[in-house]
Amino acid sequence: MGEAQKGLLSVIEKLKGTTEQEVRIVLLGLDNAGKTTLLKSLASEDVNTITPTQGFNIKSVASHGMKLNVWDIGGQRKIRPFWKKYLENTDLLIYVIDSADKKRFEETGLELSELIDEENLKGVPVLIFANKQDLATASPASEIAEGLNLHTYRDREWQIQACSAVSGEGVQDGMNWICNNIVNRKK
Amino acid sequence: MAEDDREWVVESIVGYLGSPEWVIPVTDFMENKCTVFDDEDENKLSYTEIHQQYKKLVEKLLENYMQEVGINEQQFLDACTSPFAKSKTLQIVFQPVLATDDFQMFRSLMVQKNMELQLQALRVIKERNGALPDCLTDGTDVMTELQQQEMRILQEVLKKSKEEYDEEMSMRMLLEEEVGSTSRSSSDKPVRESGEAQQETSASSQQNSTAKVNSKPVSKEETKATATGGRDGKNSAKGSSSSKLTTDCGSNGLEPRVLPAVRAPVKSSELPSTKEQSSSSQTAAEAWVEEARKEAGISKPYTELSLSQQEQLQQRAAYLRQQRDKLHALKKEQQKSKQSSTAEETPSNPTPAPATPEISVEEKKKLQKRKHLADKLKEEVIKK
Repeated sequence: MGEAQKGLLSVIEKLKGTTEQEVRIVLLGLDNAGKTTLLKSLASEDVNTITPTQGFNIKSVASHGMKLNVWDIGGQRKIRPFWKKYLENTDLLIYVIDSADKKRFEETGLELSELIDEENLKGVPVLIFANKQDLATASPASEIAEGLNLHTYRDREWQIQACSAVSGEGVQDGMNWICNNIVNRKK
Repeated sequence: MAEDDREWVVESIVGYLGSPEWVIPVTDFMENKCTVFDDEDENKLSYTEIHQQYKKLVEKLLENYMQEVGINEQQFLDACTSPFAKSKTLQIVFQPVLATDDFQMFRSLMVQKNMELQLQALRVIKERNGALPDCLTDGTDVMTELQQQEMRILQEVLKKSKEEYDEEMSMRMLLEEEVGSTSRSSSDKPVRESGEAQQETSASSQQNSTAKVNSKPVSKEETKATATGGRDGKNSAKGSSSSKLTTDCGSNGLEPRVLPAVRAPVKSSELPSTKEQSSSSQTAAEAWVEEARKEAGISKPYTELSLSQQEQLQQRAAYLRQQRDKLHALKKEQQKSKQSSTAEETPSNPTPAPATPEISVEEKKKLQKRKHLADKLKEEVIKK
């Protein structure tokens, strides 16, 4: 019921308090990391017919009495420059990594550190999904965390979660962390 | 006091959202930008750009409005969130405003607008050209395919029941004729033949009526009925070109001098029907195969055909033979019943006819039911 206008953001926050809490989550990562699969898995949809995302997908998921609006934006190199257009008013960042694609660990680390430096994501909690753990060649989450220097993040909450978007394993654990974190943050 | 204020502001806002100052620029924007919005699950990156432009437009419009009316942002927001503004009808009015903050809502508005424009365009094309060009109708639409299938089935059913009806009619004609005179025995052969042809080949009754006219005088009413039926038959032939039955029918329709009319004089001169029925000689069988062959439009002699074709023809011949025998049997029974009572000629007569044990009560009932159905159908078809 809130009217929305840029100059009136402070009031809108209050207005939305009357309905259920809405959370804006942005889902990013390199191409082929499994972002769309993760999104569909969150929305309990079929994950067998997913093609590379050229634009973006949005799903709204109800969880812990909140409405999570998850924005999944394509990860191909030519699309990445558009990422920053979607970061405004973001409550949480989910970053997805293909744990079996060791050759691109450096590339994905660079993209993540660029995001962390974005003004719009200042202090925004980040959840990293070490995806594709169902593959035999997948690196463990702890190894990836080390490679990304996550322990140097002092300005925000962060968490790394091993998962497989295809099987759904670990996904719910990550969502639980998100909800707990958001609830704490908004209080 | 504050409540009154709010109500006044809400009314003013709603008035503004219905005024040309708001409607024209917003509609213009949507109509110009909606073409890229489709109902795919995935959003295009360009949607975001357009949404940003839309936000700017609405912001500018509302700022101008608030300045004009002299209310501040807080008043505006209060009014929008008051219970007065939350009624269903007002929610729709506020949708374009809320769409600035809600991308999903914006998207659905744009998709809807795009669809409206497309439908409008289709309508305009239709009005101008009378029909849509092929490029716009060629798409394999699942729905239309289903509908076509349904139409085909319906036509098939109509055709079937028409055949039954024609069969019934020719039967009745036979009865009437026999009642009329007993000395007609030589001339009712062609009629019988035409009846057979109808039932066996599902030939259009155009051919049929030719045969009838050749063989005997037909009452005007009947000619009319069959003529209409003939047209219907042709229509259905056009409609469903895929079914084998109709192909037969079509080819027969092209050459109306089909077998019964030609063959009848020869046969009736040499064989009374009862004899022919009892003789299952080689020549008779060959004749049936030959007929089936002609019917199928195969010009090669029987022996030159491929095995599968021969088999097909054999089957057809067997079927024809069977049908003929049935007809003969029926006729024989009718002749017997004729001898016992003339009231039989009106099939709607419910008398169980105890003098004819061959036709059971049940069979008669069935026959009546069928006729009733055919009559009803005919009525409907002709009315249309």
